[in-house]
Amino acid sequence: MFNIALRDILINAKQESFRMYHYYLGVEHLFIGLLEIQGGLTRSLIEAQGLTADYVIDAIRRQTGKGSQQRLWAGIQHTPRANIVMSIGNDLALEDGRQEMNERDLLIAILEENDSIPIRVMRKLGVDLEMLARESRTFVPDYTNSHPYVQIDYSPDFPVSPALNENQLFILRRMFDEYSQIRVERRLTGGYTQALIALVTPKQGDGSEDAPVVVKIDSADLILDEAMRYDQYVKTSLPPLTARLEEKPTTAESTDLAGLKYTFVAGVNRTEQNLRLGARDLGIQRVGRWLQEELYPYFGRTWWQARKPYRFQVWQEYDWLLPPILTLEYAGEEPSSSIQHVLRDPIRRRKLTELEYGDLVAVENFSVQRVYPEKDMIQIAIGKGSEAAKRAYKINVKNINLAQNAYYRGETLERIMGRVWKNREELLQHAAGEIFPTFDTRADHIPGIPEVEKLPNPLLAYEDLLELHVNGSLSKIHGDLHLGNILVGPNESAFLIDFAQTRDGHALFDWATLEISLINDLIVPVAGQEWTNAAQIARCVYAINRGAALPNVPPELAESFAPLQAVRDIVNECLAKQDKWAEYFVALTMCSLRAVTWDTMSIGGRRAMLLIAGLALHELRARPTRSTPGARTPSYFEDSNDTDITS
Amino acid sequence: MEHKISIMVMSGVEDGQLHTCATANNDGLLELDNEAWVLRLGRHADNDICIRNDTYVSRYHARLHWRDHRWWLEDCNSRNGTFVEDRVEDARVFGTIPVEINQLFCLGHTWLRIQPPEE
Repeated sequence: MFNIALRDILINAKQESFRMYHYYLGVEHLFIGLLEIQGGLTRSLIEAQGLTADYVIDAIRRQTGKGSQQRLWAGIQHTPRANIVMSIGNDLALEDGRQEMNERDLLIAILEENDSIPIRVMRKLGVDLEMLARESRTFVPDYTNSHPYVQIDYSPDFPVSPALNENQLFILRRMFDEYSQIRVERRLTGGYTQALIALVTPKQGDGSEDAPVVVKIDSADLILDEAMRYDQYVKTSLPPLTARLEEKPTTAESTDLAGLKYTFVAGVNRTEQNLRLGARDLGIQRVGRWLQEELYPYFGRTWWQARKPYRFQVWQEYDWLLPPILTLEYAGEEPSSSIQHVLRDPIRRRKLTELEYGDLVAVENFSVQRVYPEKDMIQIAIGKGSEAAKRAYKINVKNINLAQNAYYRGETLERIMGRVWKNREELLQHAAGEIFPTFDTRADHIPGIPEVEKLPNPLLAYEDLLELHVNGSLSKIHGDLHLGNILVGPNESAFLIDFAQTRDGHALFDWATLEISLINDLIVPVAGQEWTNAAQIARCVYAINRGAALPNVPPELAESFAPLQAVRDIVNECLAKQDKWAEYFVALTMCSLRAVTWDTMSIGGRRAMLLIAGLALHELRARPTRSTPGARTPSYFEDSNDTDITS
Repeated sequence: MEHKISIMVMSGVEDGQLHTCATANNDGLLELDNEAWVLRLGRHADNDICIRNDTYVSRYHARLHWRDHRWWLEDCNSRNGTFVEDRVEDARVFGTIPVEINQLFCLGHTWLRIQPPEE
């Protein structure tokens, strides 16, 4: 529908006002009313700016917040600003000889008034308001020729399966609509994410090829967040020659997907290769040296080397990696007398373990992280503190009627209630069950390797770790530093892509993440997928943890540990206090425990991860932390002041 | 010395409403030989600027001070806080901080802005 009449927009606007418990009509409701018109003018113009209507609507809702359910007046009155906008719109219609304003008049009026909430929100989102104002007067959707046909070829390196789906192809064509043809060279994802990351070479009409670019296609919310994050955190801290986001994201009304292009400033002809695929070409020995000599110094200067002392509790940086602490069945927002437990900051985790199936829980002042309309579920988290802490203590709330309740990302919920459906322990045990262990995963210790008689069971022992205080350091981190995101460019220069998780955080997080990736991508394929193979890997990691020589293993396997050894050398430079390795073993425990729950990781990889988490915990226990006299329980971690090693 | 201020409501049901206070109308409180001027903001009707339609605003929520030729914003231990707009995340006001003309600040859920003086 294009250029529809005012009465239809007002219906949308009033519904939005009721959903948000505002009960008045403001410019923000009028603008959302415009954005909700499928195929409408405002929607099309927002899309042309690389955003989606839903993304802008959520940002406006975050700005206004919900009102209280108690009404302070009857009826629905217009705000003074809405009256001004309506009178501008009416004038525009009259000047054009019409009785009633339409979609275009209202949009122009909002842009002319230029001082309302949606205007301020769009300015923050980087919308070019001048361009919007120009195009709002002239834009006519062209249904005949809106999506020029771009031919897509595949290089022989591109795997036939899984094929790109229709929506991915649609976004891809749109991203390259100034070209006549593109060639998808290779897939760069390793499968931790749902995102498609691929190398694409565009071709001009005359057949000449432009420099290849890395394309990322994922759900629109995540892609638009990544673009915002790149602007806020990444852009200013990148080394001169690397992959950059040069354009606005590409979105489309017909799909929830969006796309980003990473272009290379070097602009070379050879095709970049990620380290997951390229490690063999580079030579396994060379990979380690390359990480140390190229990647670390090149990005390190503004990232991991620019670190400040940072004291944190483990949960603040690492809880978000774990499965949700609870899954609740929605039970409304009104207080009830039968509440068993109230969850609010600070969280008393011990209390959580006592909750049973069906218990009624009230959660207060958590914020909405994600909305899953197709699952009738929302994910909430604590929402305060550092970037990672905001996402700590995830809770899934299912069976919510999302058609009735307008939940939006970033919304703070004063109270939400639910009955316990599942807890974190069940999810971790389920993940452990998937890798078919031959031992009891609920016991305090698990059988591991001959060198360690009693390996702590990470599925249980991580709990105490979350309370531990760490004297570490804070730096800019990539946030998802696996081999798939590290590219080897011309002259073996280092490129990073995928800045969706980039933030200020624990400086060692990236290296623990990379170690997990090295084990899964380079070591497990050599070792094999069985438990005996996992134990073999664990024996080698144990030796490295101890600074000892590798045990007697096949030479090819021993060789595959060279890059991991290099990562440990880098970590050694990044420790907050020299030789105090406990800081790293905390990060390694949490990152490997998280990987146990990844069903996209190979079974052998997940088996190795369980043992490596146990080994990292073993090292933490073997290097006792400073204990407080008169501690309540003689746990290894409890009540300790920090991770200082006393011996 | 005469003082005058115009504050525009920037959100909520009163979005776009202009509140004007002036010493000529006996608004606010003069201090320091008329060099300083204090205005009270809150939900109660006897504030100089009354925000009656936002239940997140405390009865006596905040004060604006004119002192040393500039405006200062003070949070009066309000229940839901006073915030000033920032690029990435809005910053909560503790105690008294300087506030600029045209800078947005928030009491409860209500955003306000000091308008530039009319020529």
